Amino acid sequence: MQNHWAERADRVTVTLMSPETTLQDPLRFHRKSPPCAVVIYGANGDLTKRKLMPALYRLAFEGRLAPGFAVIGVSRTAMSHDDFRDKMYESVKKFLEDSPFDEELWKSFAQGVFYQSGDVGDAESYKDLAKCLASVEESRKTEDNVLFYLSTQPSQYAEIAEGLAGAGLNKGKGWRRIVIEKPFGHDLQSAGELNGRLQKCFNESEIYRIDHYLGKETVQNIMAFRFGNGIFEPLWNRTYIDNVQITAAESIGVEGRGAYYQEAGALRDMIQNHLLQVMATVAMEPASSFTSDAVRDERAKLLRAIRIMRPEQVPDNAVAGQYGPGRTGSQPLQGFLSEKGVSPDSQTNTYAAVTFLVDNWRWAGVPFYIRTGKAMPKRVSEIAINFRTAPLAMFRKATAGAEALPNMLILRIQPEEGISLRFASKRPGSGMQLRPVSMDFNYGSSFGERSPAAYETLLLDAITGDATLYTRQDMVEASWNAVMPILDYWSTQKFNFPNYAAGTWGPPESDEMLARWGHTWRKP
Amino acid sequence: MPTSVEKPIKPEQILKELGELWTNMAKPQAGDSASDSHDGGVLRACAMTLISFVDDEEDAMDLGNTIASLMKEHPSRSVVVRLKEGEGFLDCRVFAQCWMPFGQRRQICCEQVEITSSMNRLADVASIVGPLAVPDLPRVILLRSARLVRAGALRKVLGLGDKIVVDSSRPGAPGFGELGGLLDAGHITGDLAWTRITELRSLIAQLLDDHTPKKITIDYAGREAGPEARYIEAWLESSLPSTHIGLQGDGHDGSGKPTLITVDDNLKIHLKDGGGCAEYEIDGMRQRASMSKGTEEELLNAELAIVIHDKVFERALNRITA
Repeated sequence: MQNHWAERADRVTVTLMSPETTLQDPLRFHRKSPPCAVVIYGANGDLTKRKLMPALYRLAFEGRLAPGFAVIGVSRTAMSHDDFRDKMYESVKKFLEDSPFDEELWKSFAQGVFYQSGDVGDAESYKDLAKCLASVEESRKTEDNVLFYLSTQPSQYAEIAEGLAGAGLNKGKGWRRIVIEKPFGHDLQSAGELNGRLQKCFNESEIYRIDHYLGKETVQNIMAFRFGNGIFEPLWNRTYIDNVQITAAESIGVEGRGAYYQEAGALRDMIQNHLLQVMATVAMEPASSFTSDAVRDERAKLLRAIRIMRPEQVPDNAVAGQYGPGRTGSQPLQGFLSEKGVSPDSQTNTYAAVTFLVDNWRWAGVPFYIRTGKAMPKRVSEIAINFRTAPLAMFRKATAGAEALPNMLILRIQPEEGISLRFASKRPGSGMQLRPVSMDFNYGSSFGERSPAAYETLLLDAITGDATLYTRQDMVEASWNAVMPILDYWSTQKFNFPNYAAGTWGPPESDEMLARWGHTWRKP
Repeated sequence: MPTSVEKPIKPEQILKELGELWTNMAKPQAGDSASDSHDGGVLRACAMTLISFVDDEEDAMDLGNTIASLMKEHPSRSVVVRLKEGEGFLDCRVFAQCWMPFGQRRQICCEQVEITSSMNRLADVASIVGPLAVPDLPRVILLRSARLVRAGALRKVLGLGDKIVVDSSRPGAPGFGELGGLLDAGHITGDLAWTRITELRSLIAQLLDDHTPKKITIDYAGREAGPEARYIEAWLESSLPSTHIGLQGDGHDGSGKPTLITVDDNLKIHLKDGGGCAEYEIDGMRQRASMSKGTEEELLNAELAIVIHDKVFERALNRITA
């Protein structure tokens, strides 16, 4: 036995010493990408111009990209490599955030930017792409590592994946990964169908479903807050938490995206994906390690534990809204039905609020209220954890009701990212009067450094093979499963829309939903 | 708003002054509306105690600007000790550094204590600064002058710091000898000359990947290698023991800073724009890597984020001082 442990000790010593004889310095060096090519489908689209290329350039600016890094833009428009580079040059200059533009660096970066025109429905276009990739691999030494980023209409995802597989581009000497943007299907059935087609072409581990909300620093900080500190987790359960409120409000209307939004609606556009992922992050069990599968397993378990509503439970637990004309700030805002591309009798929800219950030991009986809406009084995303009140109201007489205010922990996602804790404090002076006060942590004041944009984080994650912040198929299906009864029920209803004025916090039914539990919405 | 503190200086008196300063700042100012006073106000931010020693007037102003910039990334209780010629002089004032983040309504403020002392009162300074440090948060000492390192009374103050940061490339600053002494005494140390080459080291590590070259030459400007060039040499020697590492100057007057890294005669990394960028050619592709200019503020921001022993740095420093 002793020899066995001696051997183990030797092995451990060797393992610990080995990093000291390399050039790596994990304390100071940033994570960098391996050599690879990123193929962007939909290279002429808005997302490429506004987010993807600026994010890739910024990674180059920070020295995070390998010397032979390459980007190949693909879209239908015929264009030369140089034309594409010129377009991207303008886009990056225009949409680069919080970062200087270095002309000389762009020249170096642009050497690795290429363009390939092709129709996604044309099998020949994939063969052309294969030739282009071979040529890029030859000149840039990308080690045959390829990330396909589908920034196209969701209806084209499966077709492109099949086209890539048909041309043998789903396999190679290096790794292959495919990134798709939400929505992942229109409902549970279509999500399953999409997944079935994608998984015939790529392994699940090669499919990266992007949810840019999970790339936000403050959403990632939820995990750091919960699992990097010892004091909160013991309180993080039904014994101490009364209810949780998750809000994602926008002060603008649909702003010209009426035609798209009419097909989606707030429940599909925000709750099914972003906000249920946020809820899963807030409520999941601690993972055994900070590895992508361990974290995603816990998120998936939480999503599967959400109680599925029966049709008769939907009216009491889900509220749909649509904004009419009103004002946000000093600006008048037209109603949704007056937006361009919107049918005058549209039944689309621009506001949705849902009460979810989680059937597990930690959360049994704790309502999770989620709301999202357009044309709200202000743009704010936050999570409010409402704790139970003190068990004995010993200051009731002297507090004029203030003691009844429970402790509240606010995790602010945007703007003014940070964390606040509300608690009661004695007012100075004789007598015992309590007043709620707030203890604030402000991300900006404690870390003045620039936070990377969500797409920088997520692109680098995909390139380096870290899927922690990407959603897995079982998570997608579990979240569709949670909202399907609501969608099905609402599809049978005729709503009396609009039911809230722009610039207000949604329809009164939303307040009534919480009132049934004895709660009220926090006013952010 | 500076507030004078009467002699004799007592730490609890300074802390009281700081408390009063915050109370006054939290009060609504003339012209504030009721809602401003409720939603606005100031946010007191503190993530560490930063103790800085400077020994001449010009340096103190320069340092003051740097500290003001640092507060955004590392909000601190800043204690600046200004050492003056003369005898028996000791004074103190407290004030706040505030800024309004873009798009927000509340100011963020950090507190500063400035102690002015003659060299012969350094022993008193040590007993004042200690109790002023914020409990439970890291304490970092920024030392700019070698003279101070050698001052006997300062040793007590150095003992208060979790980390001591110097910039060995500054004229008159503590050098490798003093740094090695601090390291031997068990202090966590940091050198901005080392921080300055982080991006270059990262680039070299990326380009070499797992390849072990036979020979690497570091060219520098001047007759004598500066701290940065020597750190690169020591880092490479300790990381690649089987590689021959050479260091050569251009023989002219110069800064001693690295200008070119040559790996096995087939990779040349040219350092340009005063270290603001590196150009190199690999696999027939000419590449440019953008690097930060390495201002004192940028370097301190990076260094203050590390308050644990940095094994890679200590290995390189030990190699130089051995």
